[in-house]
Amino acid sequence: MRYRISGDALTAMLSDGAVVLNLHSKRYFSLNETGTRVWALLEDNSGLDEIVQTLTAEYDVAESDARREVMALVEELLREGLLV
Amino acid sequence: MPGLAQSPAAIATGEPVTHEWRHGLIDARASGGDTLLFHTAARAVLHVRHGRLVRGTGYSAAPSSARRELVRLGAQLVLRGRGLYHVHAAGLVAPDGRAWLLAGESGCGKSTLAYALMRAGWRVLGDDGVLLQRALDTLVAHAWRQPLQLSIELAEYFPELQSYRAAVDWSDPRHRISITYRAMQHAPIAALVFLARVRHDAITPLPQTVALSRLVRQSSTVLLSDAHAAPHLAALRELVMQVPRYQLEHTERQLHRVHKTLLGLAT
Repeated sequence: MRYRISGDALTAMLSDGAVVLNLHSKRYFSLNETGTRVWALLEDNSGLDEIVQTLTAEYDVAESDARREVMALVEELLREGLLV
Repeated sequence: MPGLAQSPAAIATGEPVTHEWRHGLIDARASGGDTLLFHTAARAVLHVRHGRLVRGTGYSAAPSSARRELVRLGAQLVLRGRGLYHVHAAGLVAPDGRAWLLAGESGCGKSTLAYALMRAGWRVLGDDGVLLQRALDTLVAHAWRQPLQLSIELAEYFPELQSYRAAVDWSDPRHRISITYRAMQHAPIAALVFLARVRHDAITPLPQTVALSRLVRQSSTVLLSDAHAAPHLAALRELVMQVPRYQLEHTERQLHRVHKTLLGLAT
């Protein structure tokens, strides 16, 4: 499954995470370091399986935990209109 | 692995639609080079047209407070188009010539601490706003001139304010007085401080993500959906990446020592 970052999203990458604005809803979010990694992979057009594999390789985390966290974030981003 | 998303924060009310938004009591609609600002209480219109403010229906008959609100927002939009981004913060210049930005919600003590610093010899860029500009290799805060608004109750701590008692606006719940000052034009930025009034004094460093989220709230025109949104956010990002960021929780004890507190951080 692949998603695309919404054209309404504006991102500021920082050394400890990122802040994402939704210019349509006028809401904004901060992402921690791992969330920022997921966001960057989504920007690179990575699919969900690819993102989970990358996180499992880069962090000390079980695949099932990584998948659950990624899905939770993706669902929230979809709800907020930041992913389409 | 920690949770990935931190809690969201909504900063606008209503149902924003592309190129339509609300800022306090003002509804705005942008179309091409024209942004129409409509004050919903005074039913007055001000246009921002190709970088200029143009009076619209009901403007001349509107109360002065409504006209001020319209002009304030209109000016922020004009300046935004020129790379000058309004931040809701007091700007004070230390004796070393560098500016400290004191940000936070209304009532957090920006004006009070601005006056306390002014008494200690610091120069003022603005007590309720500054304009942020990216320069070559630095960030500059420019003056956003308006009188410093202080509660007369501060005369208890600053006796010289007694002489303003006859000028108190008693219809204002905060019983404020207006103090004029000779503003500095601009200064490079030393640090960003978010204020909170509490029962104890504490100063703590802030992570970049927290500081930028709070800064977005204090520079809400960054959320306008136009060509200036990206450079506006980039300027705010550069600010939190370039300068130290703090939260200052303060009590009345800071009224006579805030200059020492801040300069203590710089050493």
